[in-house]
Amino acid sequence: MARIIGQRLTEPRHSIFPFSMNLKTREAIAAYLFLSPFLIFFAIFFVRATISSVGMSFYDWRLLRPTTPYVGLDNYIDLFSDPIWWSSVIHTIYFAVVTVLGTTIVGLLAAVAVTRPIHGQGFFRVLLYIPQLMSVGAMGLVWNWLLSTQFGVINYLLSFIGIRPINWLGDPNLVIPALSLATIWWTFGFPMLIFIAGLQGIPEHLYEAARIDGANGRQIFFRITLPLLRPTILFVTVTGIISHFQVFGQPYIITGGGGPGRSSWTVVIYLYQQAWVAYRMGFGAAVAVAIAAIMAVITAFQFLVISRRVEY
Amino acid sequence: MSKRSSLGFSFIFMVAILVLSFSMIGVQAQDATPAPTETPIVAEIGSGATHISFWNGLTGSDGVTLNEMLSEFAAENPDVSVTVEMIVWNTLYQKLQTAFVAGTQPDVILLHASEVPQFGSFGVLRDLSDQYTSGGGWLPDDDISATTMSGMVWDGSIYGIPLDNHGRGLWINTDMFEAAGLSTDPATAPTTYEGWVDLFQQLTLDANGNNAQSPDFDPENVVQWGFTVGEWPNVNFLGALYQHGGSFLSEDGTTITVNSEAGITALQQLVDLVYTYHVSPPAAGFDTWQGFGAGAVAVLPTGTWYRNQSLLQSDINSTAWPTYQFGENKAAWFGAHTFMIPASTEGENLDAVLRMIQWVSENQVIWASSGQVPARISAQEALDPETYPSNILLGQTFSEYGIQDPQTTVTQELLTLLDVGMQEALNGIKPADQALNDAAVLMQEALDRQ
Repeated sequence: MARIIGQRLTEPRHSIFPFSMNLKTREAIAAYLFLSPFLIFFAIFFVRATISSVGMSFYDWRLLRPTTPYVGLDNYIDLFSDPIWWSSVIHTIYFAVVTVLGTTIVGLLAAVAVTRPIHGQGFFRVLLYIPQLMSVGAMGLVWNWLLSTQFGVINYLLSFIGIRPINWLGDPNLVIPALSLATIWWTFGFPMLIFIAGLQGIPEHLYEAARIDGANGRQIFFRITLPLLRPTILFVTVTGIISHFQVFGQPYIITGGGGPGRSSWTVVIYLYQQAWVAYRMGFGAAVAVAIAAIMAVITAFQFLVISRRVEY
Repeated sequence: MSKRSSLGFSFIFMVAILVLSFSMIGVQAQDATPAPTETPIVAEIGSGATHISFWNGLTGSDGVTLNEMLSEFAAENPDVSVTVEMIVWNTLYQKLQTAFVAGTQPDVILLHASEVPQFGSFGVLRDLSDQYTSGGGWLPDDDISATTMSGMVWDGSIYGIPLDNHGRGLWINTDMFEAAGLSTDPATAPTTYEGWVDLFQQLTLDANGNNAQSPDFDPENVVQWGFTVGEWPNVNFLGALYQHGGSFLSEDGTTITVNSEAGITALQQLVDLVYTYHVSPPAAGFDTWQGFGAGAVAVLPTGTWYRNQSLLQSDINSTAWPTYQFGENKAAWFGAHTFMIPASTEGENLDAVLRMIQWVSENQVIWASSGQVPARISAQEALDPETYPSNILLGQTFSEYGIQDPQTTVTQELLTLLDVGMQEALNGIKPADQALNDAAVLMQEALDRQ
């Protein structure tokens, strides 16, 4: 049966292509045909919108105003001279770095724990992944309650060890770590899944050889597991940075808009305020372009630094 | 800690948080007795051939009240059917902007009067002057207070028909007042800042039962707050600003004046309630309604809309008071839910919309059950004092000394910027004067861009 299927894939008896083509070309066309539904929607709703955003960023465009004057680079000049923008960038980087570190470490530890041959392995994997399934609205509401100064469960538990109520969401020094904590709990399930796949891809004979050579558990983890997981770590950190750099829902819902003050304003909250509160769509487009540029630079930097030592 | 035990601890922590999360939802559900009526997101009312679409932001119990009124309207007007979409206010403002651009706006909208200048200036609203008796219409001009009427007008045209006045007042926990030996009669309310501080101090208790006037009072361990500054700090501030003789804008409407001496004094007084007198928690991290419902707040500055919530909290005995007076003058912030009609609504749909607005306007007494104060003076005078004490009490304050949001085309943006300044001051991030001055700079930029 396997041979027949192989023959059908590589040697079709009735080609769907009208012209004589070599196998590689036919496979490429077939692949693009399969990809075409995605590519069409991607081109319409992403590429076109991205190009439009770049164009919009050179205009003072308000939604209902009849005129749309061309302002050249004024939106970018205003943006880069706005201290609130730069503080939003710093908040975002702070949040993204702490959160990515946290989700990577917790995800890796959880993956190691549930990859071991234990009873109920599948149950624990599902249990640890459940928070990831929550919507940001539900998660935000729950953590708003958990972090409440006077009525929050976290402060209630801390009171048992003599710690007085902490104003997690009202202290500008604590609010971003608190948001990171909530996000780590919410999103570590995805890196955990990726790490489980990565761990299962490490050949067992390497561990056997290490054990025969007398390596202990710590040595095996740091000398075998971790180095061989570098491609996975690169993937998890790159996708994590891209994802968490666009954070919006957690600060918006948990703190009620990025507070206290602007202490948890991220770049996307800044974008939202400009585009959807002030209705400065042209300026908002400039913000979006700047965010995309920053993310591209960070991602390129990550590839340069981490991929040097990645063993594919 | 070994690796195994650290893994175990991490695992237990995650599971514990998950379990606690859901157990808290259970606790919340148990506390809310009886459960409020759910507000549908979209309601189809009536089955008439003339179909009109209606967007509003009444996502609370007031949306249920309005839908019940529309059902009665549809029963009396069987040729009309209404699709009502209830959308959270901020989202509604955004959705309307895009809908007007796309040409998919509804036939009628209910917005706040402060939105009249913005949408009026874009030319997307119908002039409703002909609906007032002065223009040959059905709505008596003298049945709407001058203050409310001022919010309907932009650039010489009347773009709105007001449904209500909704604004600030206080809800007091009468049991706490009686326990402190204080009168619950609104006529005994203080008329000076010092008097209010004295009241709040007597009502603020630490875990040992000491009130905030006691030398043994522990401000780090408060279990009952006399007051809260966290709910809608903007309007708390605006009331105090006008009480001190200040204003939001200069008389010509071109200069932001919230950071005047009166403004700084007003904000400093609110800040002092948190950090000097310790009678209010900081603004962030404290849910004021939850605090009042849990019996941890004695005086809740909120609004007319709290009426139905207070009726739901059958274990908390409370009553409404007029808003506080911190300055020499009296002032209470209020807004007006206002019907507006897009200029695109025409023909049979326009006729049906106008009939609907007129029916609702002429039955505004029913609307009082939402907690809000009917906009028409005749409806206010027809309210039953036994059923609607808070509507009557707070409505009188709006009529006598009510203040509204400024009339500009960027009012929502200005209020958002002001709110950040409030948060910065009330959470101790910046001194009151610096927070107000910083906010005023950004507000002025926004005003200059309009």
